[in-house]
Amino acid sequence: MIAQRGRYALLAPSTAIFLLCFVAPLSYFLLLSFYRIVSYQIDTTITGENYIGVWRDYFQSISFTFAIALAVALSVTALAFGFAFYVRFKAGRFGILLIFVALVTLFGGYLTKIYVWKTILGQTGILNTALMALGVVDEPIGLFLYNPFAVIVTLGHYLMPLAILPIYGSLRNIADTPLRGARDLGASRWRVFFDIILPQCRIGIVFSFALSFLFAAGDYVTPLLVGGPYTSMLGVIIQLQFGMRFNAPMGAAMAFTAIGICILVIGSFDLLLRRILKVPA
Amino acid sequence: MLGSTDQQPLVRLRGVCKKFGGVAAVHPLDLTINRGDFLAILGPSGCGKTTLLNIISGFLFPDAGSIEIDGLDVTRVPPERRETNMVFQSYGLFPHMTVEQNIAYGLRVAGAPADECKRRVAEMVALVHLDGLERRNVAGLSGGQQQRVALARALIMRPKVLLLDEPLAALDLQLRKAMQIELRRIHRSIGGTFVFVTHDQGEAMALANRIAVMQGGRIVQQGTPREIYDAPSTRFVSTFIGDANLLHGHARDGRVTLAAGPSFPHAGVDGPVVSVVRPEQVQIGPSAATGAAVDRVLLSGVVQDIIYVGTYVRFAVQVEGAELIVHAGSGRAAPNVEIGDQVAVWWAVADHLVLPEE
Repeated sequence: MIAQRGRYALLAPSTAIFLLCFVAPLSYFLLLSFYRIVSYQIDTTITGENYIGVWRDYFQSISFTFAIALAVALSVTALAFGFAFYVRFKAGRFGILLIFVALVTLFGGYLTKIYVWKTILGQTGILNTALMALGVVDEPIGLFLYNPFAVIVTLGHYLMPLAILPIYGSLRNIADTPLRGARDLGASRWRVFFDIILPQCRIGIVFSFALSFLFAAGDYVTPLLVGGPYTSMLGVIIQLQFGMRFNAPMGAAMAFTAIGICILVIGSFDLLLRRILKVPA
Repeated sequence: MLGSTDQQPLVRLRGVCKKFGGVAAVHPLDLTINRGDFLAILGPSGCGKTTLLNIISGFLFPDAGSIEIDGLDVTRVPPERRETNMVFQSYGLFPHMTVEQNIAYGLRVAGAPADECKRRVAEMVALVHLDGLERRNVAGLSGGQQQRVALARALIMRPKVLLLDEPLAALDLQLRKAMQIELRRIHRSIGGTFVFVTHDQGEAMALANRIAVMQGGRIVQQGTPREIYDAPSTRFVSTFIGDANLLHGHARDGRVTLAAGPSFPHAGVDGPVVSVVRPEQVQIGPSAATGAAVDRVLLSGVVQDIIYVGTYVRFAVQVEGAELIVHAGSGRAAPNVEIGDQVAVWWAVADHLVLPEE
């Protein structure tokens, strides 16, 4: 009885913080997203108009944002998996060193990385200078920076170490003997990978994917700095609705649309992976 | 008695050796395993027995020598294409699969039709007594049940040779005894060829019809449990298998003189020797009642300790320069001596072995 009560007592502080700082404001914004702004005043009649508006007016921006986020998440997850797999199964005792090197890049801040990529990809950047020095091109190429590609590369670079960790963690939990067991039972290396390794690190893969997808979808600094004029990510627009436009209900509707899409994409990714790996849902 | 084998060689190792980082784990050795054998590779840890098993299974390729299974050279054939299957010490079950899926895995990989898989899985489940647990996740099973799944998973492949790496080491004593009986029953009922590695001589004696004793990367003796127990070829084997009393002595001119006193005729090379005698071969009696005879070794000593084990009584007798262990019959046959008594201990010359000192 005391143990029971003690357990709830331990949960209380974090539950309070969660309710106060997360559930309460989000509920408020959810409600807000069904209101409207009429002559600079909030009209509290419930209406779904904002959500219709989101799809009507910002469809291009939404699809662009989530296309970029999907590209970032898929490439980062794939590369992170390759890296983590190499560290776990091939690198031997140098594995820990490799993980350390990957994590060290986290010390460089987020903004620093953006500027690093500006320096590399820019008109007078390292890439152009090198290409000119090698005589590949005669004048700097403007194609590298200020486009979706630059956004994907920059976000990908930032997210890589964060995506490596969950996958590496789940790969480390895979024991060696079952892998030997599968080979002993006739499985080729490829089948061992598919039947034994992948299903056991599925959670890690989904986690890495979700992490990179959510971050890329919600980011609004990178597209501003390296993305150029046509890369209007949803994050930027939501920020504008709350700031310049004074249209909080519209911003809230956009935010909830984004959350909905994120849940849908990550859920589908998980389902797809289960389907491929024949894991029951 | 375990069924006699038909003496048809199934596995042949010739000159097989393996080094790790310049250190020889297995010195060049030959080993023949007959069809139907239940062979124990027995030795202390680090003697190379697991390396040898891995060479037979294909997880390690030997540095030199060849392995033949059923007439085919498989020296360089990887484990997935060998007709051997292994029961690992830590089982190596697939934690994300059910009991059924674990057992069926090998057949599924081989592309067996679904109805055949189902039928053979059911056969295996019945053989290893896992009925009712088919749909359970293997992570929730007890050690003994996991052991059975590992066994079924390997046996379903109908391997020419089933390899078991310390199969019972992770189980508690009670379960180990039960699994020993199970393994013998399974071996009898399917009649395959089993090879298992163990450091537990009791387990080797209980399960195997042939034992290969390994020491320092070499097979020092092969034979039936009885041969190895009754006629150990080296001092190491004599102490590793069963209890043995060792008495040091010296051979010269056809006689051996023990450090403890007595001497007896013995044909052999001159030099330091050791006389090995099993505790149950030694007789014990009050000093007065001793009758010396030419074909006996007789010593006198003082009883240090008596343990009433149950099926026998264990006496520790201090003789000159050594402590002798004597197992004598319990009950009415128990010798009437107490701790501290002056006693005589003796054994027939025919019952001991004189081996060169190592």
